[in-house]
Amino acid sequence: MIDQLIGFLSYYIPEIMSIVLMTTLLVFEAAVKDENAPRIKIHVYTQLVLGVVLLNLFLNLGEKPLHIFHNAVTIDPFSTLVKIIMTIGTMGAVFLSHNSKDIYRNLKSEFSIMAVGVLVGGMLLASANNMLTLYLGIETLSILSYVMSSFKRDEASSAEAGMKYALYGGLSAGVALFGISHLYGVFGSIQFVEMIDKVPALEGVSLAIVLVSFLMFFVGIGYKISAFPFHMWTPDVYQGSPIPVTSFFAIVPKMAGLAALIRVTFVFTQEGSVLTIPWVGLILVISALTMTVGNVTAIGQTSVKRLLAYSSIGHVGMMILGIVVMNNEGIQAILFYGIVYLFMTLIAFYITSHLSDMYGTDSYDVFRGLIYKHPVMAIIMASVLFSLAGLPPFSGFIAKFNIFSVIIAKKHYGIALIAAINSVIALYYYMKLAKTMIFSEGEGEEKVLGFTPLNQTVIILLFVPVLFLGIFWDSAMALAGNAALFIK
Amino acid sequence: MNGILNWILWLPIVGMIAVLVTPKAKEQTIRLLTLFTTTVTLLLSVLLYLKFDTSTADMQFVTKVPWIAQFHINYFIGIDGITMLMAFLNALLFFICTLSSWTIEKNVKAYFALLLMLQSTVFGVFFSLDFFLFYVYWEVMLLPMFFLIGIWGGENREYAAIKFFLYTFFGSIFMLVGIIALYYATGKGADSFNILALQGGKFTELTVDVFGKTFSFEHLFFWFMFLGFAIKVPVFPFHTWLPHAHVQAPTAVSVILAGVLLKMGTYGFLRIAFPIFPMAAVESSTIIAVLGLISVIYGAFCAMAQDDVKKLVAYSSVSHMGFVMLGLAAMTTQGVNGAVLQMFNHGTSTAMMFLLIGILYERSHHRWIVKPDGSRGYGGLSTKLPKYTTVFIIGMFASLGLPGLSGFISEALIFLGIYQKFTTITVIAVIGLLIGAAYLLWMFKRMFFGDVNPEIEEYEDMNGREVFYMLPLCFAVIFFGIFPSPLLNVMKASVGQLVDLLAKF
Repeated sequence: MIDQLIGFLSYYIPEIMSIVLMTTLLVFEAAVKDENAPRIKIHVYTQLVLGVVLLNLFLNLGEKPLHIFHNAVTIDPFSTLVKIIMTIGTMGAVFLSHNSKDIYRNLKSEFSIMAVGVLVGGMLLASANNMLTLYLGIETLSILSYVMSSFKRDEASSAEAGMKYALYGGLSAGVALFGISHLYGVFGSIQFVEMIDKVPALEGVSLAIVLVSFLMFFVGIGYKISAFPFHMWTPDVYQGSPIPVTSFFAIVPKMAGLAALIRVTFVFTQEGSVLTIPWVGLILVISALTMTVGNVTAIGQTSVKRLLAYSSIGHVGMMILGIVVMNNEGIQAILFYGIVYLFMTLIAFYITSHLSDMYGTDSYDVFRGLIYKHPVMAIIMASVLFSLAGLPPFSGFIAKFNIFSVIIAKKHYGIALIAAINSVIALYYYMKLAKTMIFSEGEGEEKVLGFTPLNQTVIILLFVPVLFLGIFWDSAMALAGNAALFIK
Repeated sequence: MNGILNWILWLPIVGMIAVLVTPKAKEQTIRLLTLFTTTVTLLLSVLLYLKFDTSTADMQFVTKVPWIAQFHINYFIGIDGITMLMAFLNALLFFICTLSSWTIEKNVKAYFALLLMLQSTVFGVFFSLDFFLFYVYWEVMLLPMFFLIGIWGGENREYAAIKFFLYTFFGSIFMLVGIIALYYATGKGADSFNILALQGGKFTELTVDVFGKTFSFEHLFFWFMFLGFAIKVPVFPFHTWLPHAHVQAPTAVSVILAGVLLKMGTYGFLRIAFPIFPMAAVESSTIIAVLGLISVIYGAFCAMAQDDVKKLVAYSSVSHMGFVMLGLAAMTTQGVNGAVLQMFNHGTSTAMMFLLIGILYERSHHRWIVKPDGSRGYGGLSTKLPKYTTVFIIGMFASLGLPGLSGFISEALIFLGIYQKFTTITVIAVIGLLIGAAYLLWMFKRMFFGDVNPEIEEYEDMNGREVFYMLPLCFAVIFFGIFPSPLLNVMKASVGQLVDLLAKF
């Protein structure tokens, strides 16, 4: 028994290392004498350990799927790939936090501690295989996120962001827990593997209860991935939070929530299950509304952070379309989208962050005439915007193409048309930002301080996959395709 | 042998990279590099014409290399008679545009890099035989256009650039849905993105459900494709982006836009919409003809109402592209031959008009025939600028279809073709020709005749460079007006194949 548990631990190295990292960071931070020291060593240490975690995850990609800790946790290529995306996202956010003025100097280590903590929660969520682990993941993820969003503690907007996030989060997590408890009541188990077997036998009242419980459960997840109508918090929280936090929120909790949604969908709505039609119908409608609301609202924004918040809502709407088709191609499309979305989001936030640090605001005006000051950065930002809009030859197009491809394969032409119109709307607002950057003449010749050679190199390195995956997407598709879901 | 097509496609990209690595301050080097690239491309396309086998409708100079094996997407390019003409037109116009852009002073490096990128993507659209590749080129083409209009355009350039971009993107996203639907309709096989293999009316039996209603697969996706291409042509009522884009775009970009980009729309009908969905095309031919007719008449009337000479020529493009649509809708040998010929001839004659307006604009810095305050913008140009007037007369008469110049032959062929199918439409369309003559002559009278406007006293006549790049176009409109056979021979086999296919439905 003990031997077996220790054996399982070897599959759990990424999570364990992250927790160790978190605790050691706490100790190191306590040892820092000067409160305003730059904390370079701490950041290098964080990146190194996360790098090892990443390496470990890559090595695990080839592993056969299995359940560990009495079926509480699944380790499969799907969860491993999601964890890789989240780890890279965390590394990116930590790197950004080092330079960003949005994170106060005395809070730099705290940012890393919190981020790694959220990452652990995300990892838990991605490989959750029973309802309790799932809930634990959601809560670990959320509680630390609330703190992160109010990091700029002397600014009202940041405090408001934290408050809003906590209120919404607490409420939706409560509703989700309520749903989960009813599920336990009906199924008599919290283990996914045991619950699946009992689904076909559902009928009458218990079926009705299960349907309502799933709806409640969806509230919790929908809030995490900011799906309509649980997206209201997103723009305020994104705008109020410091930019490194926003970039982190746009990636890690979203991917974790998506992973959980995908897993739950595939566990309970197998071919012919009584839950399939209502659940898939729900996601279909939610997806159409999420992308439409996100994209339409994005048009009128004047703050780039809010714009990216609404656009991220639009992207989530697009991604969850991949769930509707209920097959491995759909998951493949979502995962590919996730990989591409990770790089695009990081670049967009990096550039916004350096500009907003320089000018103290994140309105469109700070982008004015960027092409004349930093042509390479402006071209990269414009490319990323066009990639987000789904234009070839950038990888955003391939991501969109894959989603279209899987839904049209299942002959969902109506939703394909809605998605098509949405991508036209999205192009419009991305183009408005690109236009500000390139068509307008900027005032003054001063260079943006944040674009140091190191930062520019990192941005260019992050841009390589955005371009490369748009032209040669064979290998990344194969990677996403291998990350098939494991249920039984 | 096959490599020549790849050279033509990729040489502009090589040129673009060469321009990008050249230091920004060396503007003359950048211009010469671009000129060198476009010249070599033009020579290669002449070589292509000489090596082209006119006796077959099959694709020639084919290259097929797997790109994304999992989805059976190939790098698959080749040309037939129709593409041959378009490729030559593209090479010629970019060569001329490089010369005409010599006076660009703002951001020379970026301008020429984008121009070369645009040339390569336009070649890509015409050469692609893989639907995915075609779509990628179709979309990528928007990026250089967006920046060329938006950075080097006129006062209202941002609006024009965004409108152009959004309109085309709106059309093409429907096309994307169609492309994917075709991919699955053919069973994801090895030829699912192969444009040639999709042709021939293979989807007449299928149906699709959208929002609970059942449609014919053939008709639904024909109209999806139609939307994508009709916006590009542009066919009424999708033409509203065109005047803005033209008026705001710098001269060279207007030339490319009217000269080749609009042809991509009609080319899409010829290569994709008609051959893949022949039944829907035949059944919709009346609608296409009526839309073409409206474009002809409405475009001509709009042109007549313009005070801005560039806008006038822009609307005349709507009118002339309407003739191409009429020729296509006829679906007869003469009609389609006339349409393809009109695509080429409109490319040369409208390019002349836009270049001439650009030349005049460089001297006057306005384009008003009648200024907003009611005074004359020009007047008496013919006495001051004799060389300019001579070239303008050639371009204008080619444009209005004077016998002996190129426009006449293609329009005559179109009328011959359409008369067999739609007599009434033919009769009304002839009125379009008349209005065309009216607005062009009226414009000519107001600008070139009458008392000499004091404002034009200082204008210089065309310089050597300007004469040099106008000469090939003058030669083309006169020569092909008398001997159209070099063009007709090239396209004969390919057009014949399409007409035969359509005749079966």
